[in-house]
Amino acid sequence: MNERVVVAPGAIPADSEIADNEVDLAPAIKVRGYWQSVLHRLRYDWMTIGFGLVVLAIVIAAIAAPLIAPFDPYQQSIVGRLKPFGWRGHPWGTDELGRDMMSRLIYGGRISLLMGLAPVLIATVVGGMLGVIGGFAGRVANTAIMRTMDVFYAFPSILLAVAISGAMGGGMINGIISLSLVFTPAMCRVAETATAQVKNLDYIEAARASGASTLTIIRHHVLGNVLGPVFIYASSLVSVSILLASGLSFLGLGVQPPEPDWGLMLSTLRQSLYVDPLGCALPGIAIFVTSICFNLVSDGVRGAMDVRG
Amino acid sequence: MTCSALKMLSWCGAMAGLIAGGLVAPTSPAGAAGVLKVAMTAGDLPVTTGNPDQGFEGFRFVGWNLYDALINWDLSKSDTASDIKPGLATEWHIDPANHKRWIFTLRQGVKWHDGCDFSADDVIWNFQRISDPKAPQFFTQQFALSRAYLTNFDSIEKIDDHSVAITTKFVESLFPYDMSYVLMISRCRAQALNYDWTAYANQPSGTGPYRFAGMTAHERMELVPNNDYWDKARVPKQDRLVLLPTPEAATRTAALLSGQVNFIEAPAPDAIPVLKRANMQIVSNVYPHNWPYILNFTRGPFTDLRVRQAANYAINRDDVVDLVGGMATPQYAEVPPSLPYYGHPVIYKFDKAKARALLKEANCLPCKVTLAISTSGSGQMQSLPMNELVKQQLEDAGFEVTLNVMDWNALLDVSRSGVPKYPNVDGMNASRGLLDPVSAIIKPVATAYWSPAGSNWGHFGTPEADGLVKQIFEEFEPEKRLALLTRLHEYESEQALMIFVVHDLNPRALSPKVHGFVQAQNWFQDLTPITVDP
Repeated sequence: MNERVVVAPGAIPADSEIADNEVDLAPAIKVRGYWQSVLHRLRYDWMTIGFGLVVLAIVIAAIAAPLIAPFDPYQQSIVGRLKPFGWRGHPWGTDELGRDMMSRLIYGGRISLLMGLAPVLIATVVGGMLGVIGGFAGRVANTAIMRTMDVFYAFPSILLAVAISGAMGGGMINGIISLSLVFTPAMCRVAETATAQVKNLDYIEAARASGASTLTIIRHHVLGNVLGPVFIYASSLVSVSILLASGLSFLGLGVQPPEPDWGLMLSTLRQSLYVDPLGCALPGIAIFVTSICFNLVSDGVRGAMDVRG
Repeated sequence: MTCSALKMLSWCGAMAGLIAGGLVAPTSPAGAAGVLKVAMTAGDLPVTTGNPDQGFEGFRFVGWNLYDALINWDLSKSDTASDIKPGLATEWHIDPANHKRWIFTLRQGVKWHDGCDFSADDVIWNFQRISDPKAPQFFTQQFALSRAYLTNFDSIEKIDDHSVAITTKFVESLFPYDMSYVLMISRCRAQALNYDWTAYANQPSGTGPYRFAGMTAHERMELVPNNDYWDKARVPKQDRLVLLPTPEAATRTAALLSGQVNFIEAPAPDAIPVLKRANMQIVSNVYPHNWPYILNFTRGPFTDLRVRQAANYAINRDDVVDLVGGMATPQYAEVPPSLPYYGHPVIYKFDKAKARALLKEANCLPCKVTLAISTSGSGQMQSLPMNELVKQQLEDAGFEVTLNVMDWNALLDVSRSGVPKYPNVDGMNASRGLLDPVSAIIKPVATAYWSPAGSNWGHFGTPEADGLVKQIFEEFEPEKRLALLTRLHEYESEQALMIFVVHDLNPRALSPKVHGFVQAQNWFQDLTPITVDP
């Protein structure tokens, strides 16, 4: 039986005995770029897409809070305290001061997202810069930067955040600063490791030999390699940041009342646990859903970015 | 049915029979029927080395149980405001020749828990311990915890084995009240331990109705009755008293409902209906407590009387009472009406329009103020929601309020340091104990008590107030002194000395098995009459 053979172009050795008329050349394979490959993988990762949509919905709700919140989140009503779901147009009931729970949860998303993203962003920029400098410069600069960061590693993250916030006092800004300080050493470590891995590679040597300045080498050749791991690590920290920020607010060291922060809401509502257990649980559910969605999306993106491995 | 299933069934039946017969039922320790287990609001166990920390709760559960002062508090009645009574001193009077010299006659036949006899030397030794840095027994911790009560203490001398004389810095007819906050510890035990205060903390010795039985740091303390207590009417009726620091209201409630404890302090107001449904006893009473905002008189908007009055008119106290489930009464003046020197203070009834008009007149609209508050703390009630409600009420009347939230210990630092260290704080929400007239209405206005040395936090000071205080201190006739105290109380109300909010009713929840508790109109309570059913 004379079967036709399908092979890829260029796959036929020069001395092949297969006749040309017996071969159908396969269409040329389109080689995707790195980011195209990442997107391609993500396109078929339904779980990541699903959780990403939840994150997107939370972000949109937070941004559009004044448009979609049914009530003013600060409007109190003592006669309407701790009312159940659906009471007088309050879909999720009211809190201990008679404020609409749904509105406060929607507005609370703004603060929680800010407290989740801002410290990670600051830590990424500061820690990333320090890591790249330490990793690229080596020697004394590396020792000075990395040993300083090691000091921060000596403390558990939540303890360090509580200590810094306690020393500086409560408030959203101080909370962001304390969490940024908590995340910076880890970010610095990731950037330093990635930089150290590439700084002696041939193409860096070649760039150096061709007369490129240090800044140029870092900008064009190092950052491209460092950004991937840093981005992956940063995305995984967002959920941690939301949790820690909520913890600080719960302890009275983060966002200050009467701001509708989820951690703070959880703290004040816990006294009413025996009266309105479901209402008390809502801020906790919001924290859980948001942080787990961020975590799973981060996990999905990390998996998609792991193309080379 | 298989053989193994039959064996299993018969084994289960045998076990059920044993349990029904009580043979393997969970057993309680001997005498556990009479164990009173208290969930305190304190975050930690109070210190046992004399005057306790953890606020007046430390005094309530550890201080007054292990120790006595020269003068104690009568906590036996719930229908009248409690007052001082003889403690380790049976009698005291002013020296007719020197109105700065108080003579105390000491109780005879009293023994310390370690068996030593109580004498005048013990009293001298105790005062040196908290006031004389050169004395070997001087203890800085106790100096700090006693300092507020020694503002007017100058010196002490032994007259004989059973009497001492205390000299004050200035004439003060109400000085004996201060002596009710200085607890006496055993010199015998401290010397036997070579003044090792850490060791002493684990084997304290006093003259109080309970003896120390043991402690697990930060977790629990156990006390047992002192059957040789000198006041036979106050020999404890339980087998054992267990104290558990439980700062979370919801946790205390759960502990009571689950039977882990049988007496809890300050249940969350919202949980009270649940506790009642579970047949728990809810007891409450008026007591000398207030929950105000203490104001800064050195700078800022509250230096203007009209702004202070406006803030008082802006408060809808009924709403605050509703918020705490009715477990408070509206506060219109410094002390509750149950105290004899209440008089006829200005009543700042809720009037938003009047408040706004006063702010406009004071040219402070919107009136920006910063208030320091705590997330929780001894006597702070439902701090966060109450402060949020007050903020809203003040803002509705034209204030612009920034709440500076901190933890309880940070607020205590603000409170102790006063406006010299925190000049930018316009007001501070700290509940106040008003047990005696000096603490209640004299210290907050007299210049002699300006912070940080005294408790006049915001440095209020006027010639009228100082003049009245001087007259009160120099008046030894009780009726005349009462009239002067009443006038001072009314004056403070006219001055809108604080933003008055509510008086706490101090709810407690008790298991139905607990009997005999009498809630005195006081921060301190007597646990000795309590019995606990098996």
